[in-house]
Amino acid sequence: MSAAPPRGAADGREIPADDPRVQLDEALGVFEPVPPYPPRTEREAEFYTLGDGEMFINMGPQHPSTHGVLRIVLKIDGENVVDLDPVLGYLHRGVEKLCENADYHHSIAYLDPLEYISSLFCEWPGVMAFEKLLDVTPPPRAEYLRVLSSELNRILSHSMFIGWMALDLGGLTPILYGLIERDEIAEMLAALTGQRLLFNYFRIGGVNGDLNHEFLSRLGDWMSRATTQIEANTMLLNENEIFVRRMRGLGTMDQATALRMCMTGPNIRATGIPLDFRRAHPYSVFPELDFDIPTRDEGDCLARYLVRIDEIKQSLRIIDQCLHQMPDGPIMAKLPRLLRPRPGRAYAAVEGPRGQYAAYVISDGTDQPFRMRIHDPSFIHLQSVGTLMPGHLIADAMAVMASLDPIMGGVDK
Amino acid sequence: MARSWSRLTLAGKILFTVIPILFVLTVGLVLLIVIAGKPIVDFLAANIWLVRFVVAATAILLMSVPTAFLIIYMEMKVIALMNLRIGPDRVGPFGSLLSVVHGLKVLMKEDFSPTGADRLVFTLAPVAVFMATIMALLVIPFAPGLFGADMNIGLLYLFAVSGLTVVGLLMAGWSSFNKYSLLGGLRSAAQVISYEIPLTLSVVGLLLLAGTMSLNQIVLLQGPHLVNGVATGGWFTDWFVFRQPLGALIFFIAATAEANRTPFDLTEADSEIVAGFATEYSGMRFGFFFFAEYVNVFVVSGLIVTLFFGGWNAPFPWPWPVSVGFDPGSLGIGLLLLIAIVPVVGTLILAAPFFLARSSLPAWQAIVIGFVLFNLLAIVAIAGWAFISFDWVAGLLWFLGKSYVFVFTFVWMRGTLPRVRIDQLMGFAWKWLLPASLLNLFVTALAIVVVHPK
Repeated sequence: MSAAPPRGAADGREIPADDPRVQLDEALGVFEPVPPYPPRTEREAEFYTLGDGEMFINMGPQHPSTHGVLRIVLKIDGENVVDLDPVLGYLHRGVEKLCENADYHHSIAYLDPLEYISSLFCEWPGVMAFEKLLDVTPPPRAEYLRVLSSELNRILSHSMFIGWMALDLGGLTPILYGLIERDEIAEMLAALTGQRLLFNYFRIGGVNGDLNHEFLSRLGDWMSRATTQIEANTMLLNENEIFVRRMRGLGTMDQATALRMCMTGPNIRATGIPLDFRRAHPYSVFPELDFDIPTRDEGDCLARYLVRIDEIKQSLRIIDQCLHQMPDGPIMAKLPRLLRPRPGRAYAAVEGPRGQYAAYVISDGTDQPFRMRIHDPSFIHLQSVGTLMPGHLIADAMAVMASLDPIMGGVDK
Repeated sequence: MARSWSRLTLAGKILFTVIPILFVLTVGLVLLIVIAGKPIVDFLAANIWLVRFVVAATAILLMSVPTAFLIIYMEMKVIALMNLRIGPDRVGPFGSLLSVVHGLKVLMKEDFSPTGADRLVFTLAPVAVFMATIMALLVIPFAPGLFGADMNIGLLYLFAVSGLTVVGLLMAGWSSFNKYSLLGGLRSAAQVISYEIPLTLSVVGLLLLAGTMSLNQIVLLQGPHLVNGVATGGWFTDWFVFRQPLGALIFFIAATAEANRTPFDLTEADSEIVAGFATEYSGMRFGFFFFAEYVNVFVVSGLIVTLFFGGWNAPFPWPWPVSVGFDPGSLGIGLLLLIAIVPVVGTLILAAPFFLARSSLPAWQAIVIGFVLFNLLAIVAIAGWAFISFDWVAGLLWFLGKSYVFVFTFVWMRGTLPRVRIDQLMGFAWKWLLPASLLNLFVTALAIVVVHPK
């Protein structure tokens, strides 16, 4: 090993003998995660120094259960995770910058693929922020349509979560039951919006399409059996001794830590804090709707899983009320041909299936946003793996990861 | 020719070399026996165990591959149906040839080993796993008179051989030069060694009752027994599962872990350690692991059936074999006439209704239909005759039927259950299964002492 120069030596820099790469190469050979040189922080230098009996393992970016292209460098001692270093950016597309180079209508389409499993919630804060800049109020029918379609999207996202959760614990079947529900809802939303995955449905001042016969017949067909179907799908896990024993008490997060980590959505509601932006900062027509905020006190993986199942039931209630209360009327507000908001700033946030989706827009008076900042819950939740994973086994680390439900498209933006 | 030869993978080259050699050897052997004649026949007759062993080993090797294919197909299809999917439906009837096609594909794939791998160990590991699994098949009695070897230490041999699997898995995990493989290999070592103990202890109670380790004897004990020259009993209540229920349960759980099946499939947990020990394997080397896994499922199922569910015994007093009182040899020259006439007459009789019912049908088509029908009838008749005349046919069917019930159970569990965690796995083995199997042994021994004091 001494004959081969350590990697990185080719660029001509002198590499000291205490460079962690040299030590790694000598100790372990090739195929090790290469630490940045020189270490950018003390934390990095500390992380890439191996203790006794420890080794690094590269989990991702190509790994069956990292939910996309996340790479986690795990420092493990046997099966125990000692420490970890998430490496982000494998799916970075520069969405914020793309939005700044498109006009206000066009940038909605760029927001869609942020989280490809909950597209409507990625559009919504952007559209709401643009509306605030332009002083436009969408008509009530459009608001009801937004709530209706986005609650369907929430159920879609949560039913996929149940499947992924089981898949990461080794259960093969629930993912396919989840996919059935997802497919029904995707077809339904395709009838409403014209797309199955990236809906691009919301417009500044309204929505793209009104209710139609196909959507309503599919929705009615599905609603008549949705409650029993969701319960049947989750029964395979909820009453499974292996599943419950693995999930209970795993990755427990207390309220103080959850608040310190800026967690939102089901992950913070699983710790007992009833934070829901639909109630905390009411927007759209949510003040007119009657629904509960399900919470759990345990804060573990099982609580995060059960809170999501309860949320599906609440979403069904909201959809039912939307269908009954929806007024007649236009679905688009009157807008000028060319959108040129006055210079200013606007912030909007919505409650999505993973937490708070928000957008902060600065306008300089032209027809393009001067600055667009997207706040995504997956990124916020992913930072808590550093406190949740160490001390657990590799198998549990994956379960913790799945219970936080991050989508890498949203993390890397 | 040369070009296509160079394109073949190593496995293909070996295959295309070995098949002609085997063919030449077989033909040569037959010629040798025909020409050299008597001395060889005498030698073989004197050492009939050798012939038996060679035939059994060959048959088991040949049988293991279709068995693996069948179980792989069954797993794909059954789990697909449980998942509300269609599953394989393209190749063959109901997609049943898909696993065969997979097998051929695996054979044609490139055969490589990663940089830094220990080539020799890396190559030997799949062979070790496959051999250990195949060797276990040798002592399982499939039917009366249908077994590789009747060892008086059969069960001990079986445990010893199936424990060899872990050596192969460790070799694979260590030699791959991949940390996921290493973790998988170590997990398998920990798991298989831990579960070997309850697995072995759970059958000690059975051995106390049976008084023998020969699997043949154990099966015979669960069947009808002679009382004053008359066969009595033979009901399913004689099966050991009713005398050792706890032992059977422990054996089933431990065997699931031993075969690395869900919920104990930690060695190849794809959501945690990618594919465990098999991460770096591809082509036929991976195929060996894959085949071994499914043959192992069959071995474990067969073992459960043999030990606890009566082996090849029927669950009720089986009236057969019955002599149908017909010896074809007694017909003499009439047999030839029968063979010549019956197919023709049968074909014509079966063809007649089709010919008469539809005037548009040409005569030759009606005859083809009749011929096919006659052949089907003949096959059913011969199979039925064999079923009632030879006890090994009925026994084999009972054994396979019972075994595949357990194979189905393993597949079912795979479709339903999530995976346990490694510490739960170890805790379950040492804290629950081991005390339970010791309790089972203690109670059995106590009962024997109380009921049959010597």
